[in-house]
Amino acid sequence: MLILTRKLGESIAIGDDIKITFLDLHSKQLRIGIEAPRHVAVHRGEIYRIIQEQNQQALGSDLGLSEVWGRLTQK
Amino acid sequence: MRIATTRFGEIDIRESDLIAMKGSILGFGHLKRFALIVHDQETPLWWLQSADDPAVAFVVINPFIVMPDYKPTLHQEDRDFLEIRKDEDLVLLAIVTVRSQPFRVTVNIRAPILVNAGNRMATQIVLEDPEYPIQYDVLDHKTRFDAWLAKPCNDSGRLVTTATSL
Repeated sequence: MLILTRKLGESIAIGDDIKITFLDLHSKQLRIGIEAPRHVAVHRGEIYRIIQEQNQQALGSDLGLSEVWGRLTQK
Repeated sequence: MRIATTRFGEIDIRESDLIAMKGSILGFGHLKRFALIVHDQETPLWWLQSADDPAVAFVVINPFIVMPDYKPTLHQEDRDFLEIRKDEDLVLLAIVTVRSQPFRVTVNIRAPILVNAGNRMATQIVLEDPEYPIQYDVLDHKTRFDAWLAKPCNDSGRLVTTATSL
């Protein structure tokens, strides 16, 4: 891992089109601005991880779809 | 071409019917080719089967069936990424998680799979709208199926790779 020290207002460039700027530091909260092309997915690490885990969990079922749909629509 | 699947055995499909994951399904970035399989015409639940890993198949549904007022905000960049030029080419598929004991079904409407039905390219996107949950509980909102049940319509049908009973 590359570790850099930056002051507030300074930035880091990643490649030609990604720029991360360090905006503000309040006690233990760091605000950063990210400029990146839209096709580069930028998300908080935890939501990314939660969606990965949900995708993984979605593979688990052995019930047939007809049965699942039947149970979902039974009155 | 023939693809091997754990659930359905070997299936025969046309290569041009595959869906190409141009982005990725998060956590499954190495899987790039999928087949959309309708196993039972009576249900709007479909299989998104990996053509590269026989064991990987997601249950998917058109999210508008579980939430008729679903209004995801899609960015132009997402459309551009998949080269979506016409609205009618834009298809969303939401991944369904089924748990059997106890029976519980949730749909990930926060991170749907965006598909261009024209060129069959796709990617999973993450919406910024926090009101759309990753685990939208379908049993809590069953009445929402009434609209679909009254007028069943598999409106993403042209995406389907194979509709044969397997």
